[in-house]
Amino acid sequence: MRLPLLFRTNVFRLTLGYMALFALSVGALSAFIYWATLGYLDSQTNATIEAEINGLREQYERRSLNGLREVIEERVARDREGRSYYLLADAIGRPLAGNVPYWPVGVDDARGQWVDFVQRDSDTPVRAMLLRVGPGLRLLVGRDIRELTAIRQTLRRASFYGITLTLGLALVGGVLLAVSAERRLAEINRTTRQIIAGDLTRRAPHKGTNDEHDELAQNINAMLDQIESLLTGMRHVGDSVAHDLRGPITRLRNRLETVAAAEAPRREDLADCIAQLDQVLATFNALLRIARVESGAYRSAFTTVDLEPIVRDVGELYQATAEERHVTLRCEARPGVEVFGDRELLAQMLTNLVDNAIKYTPEGGVVTVGLERRGDTAQLRVADTGPGVPEADRGRVLQRFARLDQARSQPGNGLGLALVNAVTSQHHGRLTLGDNSPGLVVTIELPALTPPRATAAV
Amino acid sequence: MRILVIEDDKDVASFIRNGLAQAGCNVDHAANGKDGLFLATTEKYDALVVDRMLPGVDGLTVIRTLRASANSTPVLILSALGEVDDRVKGLKAGGDDYLVKPFAFSELLARLEALARRAKSSSDGAPTTLRAGDLEMDLLRREVRRADKPIDLQPREFQLLEFLLRHAGQVVTRTMLLEGVWDYHFDPQTNVIDVHISRLRSKIDKGFDRPLLHTVRGAGYRLDG
Repeated sequence: MRLPLLFRTNVFRLTLGYMALFALSVGALSAFIYWATLGYLDSQTNATIEAEINGLREQYERRSLNGLREVIEERVARDREGRSYYLLADAIGRPLAGNVPYWPVGVDDARGQWVDFVQRDSDTPVRAMLLRVGPGLRLLVGRDIRELTAIRQTLRRASFYGITLTLGLALVGGVLLAVSAERRLAEINRTTRQIIAGDLTRRAPHKGTNDEHDELAQNINAMLDQIESLLTGMRHVGDSVAHDLRGPITRLRNRLETVAAAEAPRREDLADCIAQLDQVLATFNALLRIARVESGAYRSAFTTVDLEPIVRDVGELYQATAEERHVTLRCEARPGVEVFGDRELLAQMLTNLVDNAIKYTPEGGVVTVGLERRGDTAQLRVADTGPGVPEADRGRVLQRFARLDQARSQPGNGLGLALVNAVTSQHHGRLTLGDNSPGLVVTIELPALTPPRATAAV
Repeated sequence: MRILVIEDDKDVASFIRNGLAQAGCNVDHAANGKDGLFLATTEKYDALVVDRMLPGVDGLTVIRTLRASANSTPVLILSALGEVDDRVKGLKAGGDDYLVKPFAFSELLARLEALARRAKSSSDGAPTTLRAGDLEMDLLRREVRRADKPIDLQPREFQLLEFLLRHAGQVVTRTMLLEGVWDYHFDPQTNVIDVHISRLRSKIDKGFDRPLLHTVRGAGYRLDG
């Protein structure tokens, strides 16, 4: 992976942010240790010096100049390691006693009581306190602070290395994290690009680790499966449309050719052609209607619908047709069964069912339309005594253009049950095909509305 | 009949114009809502055909504006397959009938004639008797006679005949019958309406020399006077 690309990744930027935060906390911790340690050592040194200089002043007050000189010489002699510095000088800086040969350059009591200087002979850093002990007498008491300086430097170095190491580790970690995350995402991205390019069979790889990347890959794959099945469905519909409409359109074309070739075209022939075209148009309209129902376009107009009048209307509408075909049509509708839906769609649905039932029922058969309330559901049943639908085909006949072999001789476009199915699912209902032995029974269960509470008798 | 067609789609407009002209109508055409509104308010028409989707002023606004200015020319709304409550919206806006594209021309013509007729007859007050040739329907007594011979009809057959009588001399489509008699607005897919018609026909035409109820191929039915 190229570096500029790496900087673009979110993980890397996050890591950089964390790195900065981490370095800041390491720095803060180091600073605290630094100030706490040095502060303690500093105050220790200062306290020692202060105690000593106070002691010496007392000596001067008690025993005057000579006494002080004696004490100083004594202390110098006692300090074998040479870590203490003493100097008693007169007003112009001439040494009177002590182990510092001359008043250090630039060290002046005018600058304050505490001074740090470097003892030039031994190149030793010294912390010292200055005091005017008497007229024309200046006293300097100091301590070697080489250790203090060394500790300070060690602490500084430790902080520096600590922060650098933190930054370095975070940078390496960030790069590794970003690279690994980028690699997983790159796989998914590659898959999606291949899909965009047209290969819908591609799937994002997953390792079965159940981490978030795996979950993402699995969800994407599930989504793709769904899209593929929808597309397959659509392609199937498209193929069916082409297949089912090619026949009538070809026939129409041939017919028109004959009509055109005739010397005097007959009106009836043209009317026939129009009738055939109307069939094609009707199929298209039915397809569009199903598509619109499935898109949920009718849902916004849903309202309370009483099913009983619909069953009565459809029954009455088909009574004549049934009698014509010597089929008994029975309506057994209980009143007061209400659902939330679209009256037109429900009526068209029932029309399709009754139409089918009568169409496939032989002479002398019975078609029964039932409506009743069962608990929370409104149950619509259309039963016939026709050939029925074999169990294996029951799922298939609900699809568009599905027609069983024995139905091919009957007029119809194979869209009736598809519309019934679409309307049922838009009403959150359940459609089941069963055996009426003999015959088919179609049951539609819709969520019923709670009936208005019966008003108490006065 | 004088008809104004307000439709922006050139093909649809010329299809309607040619068809109406062939049917003997006098047709004006406007390609947008503004021109259409101007023509509708300045000229006198028997009926308007208004497309819902128009550039500029849309069809429903045209109708609302007309109705607000007390113009009661009957309006047939044309709509592409689109929203669901189109029909309700269109009728609420003041439209008199509604037709979804694609439609058969015979359906459009039948509905236009019905609209124009309804507008004329409503000004004559509500009749109590409907007639076509020697067929007579008494709406108050709910009796039907042909050549003074009483005919016994089921309630739905009575409604069917009443609808045909109110549109006597015009073509009535199957969809119009399902709407007008059963009050359902979808395409009756099969011949369910035809069966009712043939039963009615056997009651009113059987035994008479001159049939009154005719089938118009590819369109629907017509009751002649």
